[in-house]
Amino acid sequence: MLKILIPTLLLIPTSWLAKAKWLWPTTLLHSFIITLFSLAWLKNTTETNWSTLNPYMATDPLSSPLLTLTCCLLPLMILASQNHLAQDPLVRQRIYITLLVTLQLSLIMAFAATELTMFYVMFETSLIPTLILITRWGNQMERLNAGTYFLFYTLASSLPLLITLLAFQNKTGTLSLLIIQLLGPIPISPYVNIIWWTTSLLAFLVKMPLYGVHLWLPKAHVEAPIAGSMILAAVLLKLGGYGMMRLMLILSPLAKELCYPFIILALWGVLMTSSICLGQTDLKSLIAYSSVSHMGLVAAAILIQTPWGLTGALILMIAHGLTSSALFCLANTNYERTHTRTMILTRGSQMILPLMATWWLITCLANLALPPLPNLMGELIIISALLGWSWWTIIFTGAGALITATYSLYMYLMTQRGPVPNHMISMNPSHSREHLLLTLHLLPLLLLVFKPTTIWGSAY
Amino acid sequence: MADYREAPLASRPKSLDPNEYFNLSSDFRRAEEDRAAIRANLKRQYQLQLNNPLRKELIEDPALTQWVYARTNPYPHFRPTYKTSLLGAVFGVVPLFVMYYIFKTDRDRKEEQIKAGTFKRPFSLSS
Repeated sequence: MLKILIPTLLLIPTSWLAKAKWLWPTTLLHSFIITLFSLAWLKNTTETNWSTLNPYMATDPLSSPLLTLTCCLLPLMILASQNHLAQDPLVRQRIYITLLVTLQLSLIMAFAATELTMFYVMFETSLIPTLILITRWGNQMERLNAGTYFLFYTLASSLPLLITLLAFQNKTGTLSLLIIQLLGPIPISPYVNIIWWTTSLLAFLVKMPLYGVHLWLPKAHVEAPIAGSMILAAVLLKLGGYGMMRLMLILSPLAKELCYPFIILALWGVLMTSSICLGQTDLKSLIAYSSVSHMGLVAAAILIQTPWGLTGALILMIAHGLTSSALFCLANTNYERTHTRTMILTRGSQMILPLMATWWLITCLANLALPPLPNLMGELIIISALLGWSWWTIIFTGAGALITATYSLYMYLMTQRGPVPNHMISMNPSHSREHLLLTLHLLPLLLLVFKPTTIWGSAY
Repeated sequence: MADYREAPLASRPKSLDPNEYFNLSSDFRRAEEDRAAIRANLKRQYQLQLNNPLRKELIEDPALTQWVYARTNPYPHFRPTYKTSLLGAVFGVVPLFVMYYIFKTDRDRKEEQIKAGTFKRPFSLSS
């Protein structure tokens, strides 16, 4: 663990001491080396599932794919931000990279935490750099509104979680995940039981986000700069899913009755947000709502608490992280050339940038869950698990899959086909940096086709 | 009215078609001419910018900006009327209760079958 944490921590002095010409290549190379080391986490070495164990942190098959995803994303974020930060003064570039690294550190510690207290502290810590990223480097005036929504939604919903964790610590004397997984049901008085269950999960449901409390997500994703959007879509949402999976261990007997409202909200959210996607004018907003839709499936799968549900949820989380991040990168390449996110104004890119159209095609196909990509595998396992829970869910998941395919293809056709708008007189050709960025997003996704057991999680 | 001529960049709107306009009031015709003049002017401004050989930047279409803003920010202008309340209930409230009813009855029926021992499992699947 330390061989990842210390290099990540030292990336901060690197970004402050590197010379101006070498800032971006140095930080990029440094973060790539960290990613290389983090791949070692994917090998699960013990039968008790907890590897790289030390008194505060550990990895297990549930958290190691998410940790590797997080470490994988830092170089991609640095790669993606290089262009739009080029005209910022040097100090601001260094501050940006420092923020990214701080976020990375808090996320690594959150996913690797064995004590729920540390997880909670790191969960909250990850909010601050993200807030600064959104409100300082966003492009439109609405970024202030977006930052406020993001901060207060997640903060307000996670304060009850703090109280729940403290009460739990008081009752059982421990908050270590290693011990919690062995405790039996916790004796709590009947009505407080329900409050306990809801407050534990509320923070993660808002983060996921669940349909009713999803309003922060389109705002935050749209107004954030590219690195902010990438980390939000790829990792911060999964923090909610991961927290839910960990906490459901201690909440189990009650979950059988109390999960209904949330599963219903999640499934209805899949349908509703996919339909909203079909009527969006803003490209990033479409991708943001598609994230809500996929995460609705994940939330429903985690709440039914079966082995297949948890497996499918984890696979879909990793696959969606890579796909959604790639989509935001593509939207950013579009935005850097046309300075508008409106889809009508940015049509016909296939004629202008044919190679980028290849990446658009592959990413949109991944988004609509094309076999044999892990997106399909995750969705299929989730749909089967939900079918086992109740046959009627197929209406919602099936219709959701259909509308997902529709809006993914709609997004592809709107941005790539059609007449080129005649007021665009010059567009830069695609940089090889952008091609590299998208290759690095899609290559792990394609490799996961061959070894899905890496992201299967501990339920199998 | 009879001397309304078509401008180079503005075609004749339908309400000023000479075959149609003898049954329209002159106030309406004047208003239509004014609107056609404004449209022609806006189109001329756009075309000037579009065909300017020294232009390096993007043209901003204020109508499009306003339209996009209106599409993305409906909430401050929301007014609860009968139609909106009905839509909200049909798509937002009723489905949740319907789904609760469906899932609960289905799951309770399955639970009774399991307790009675009559639940059939034709496939050997993990779940």
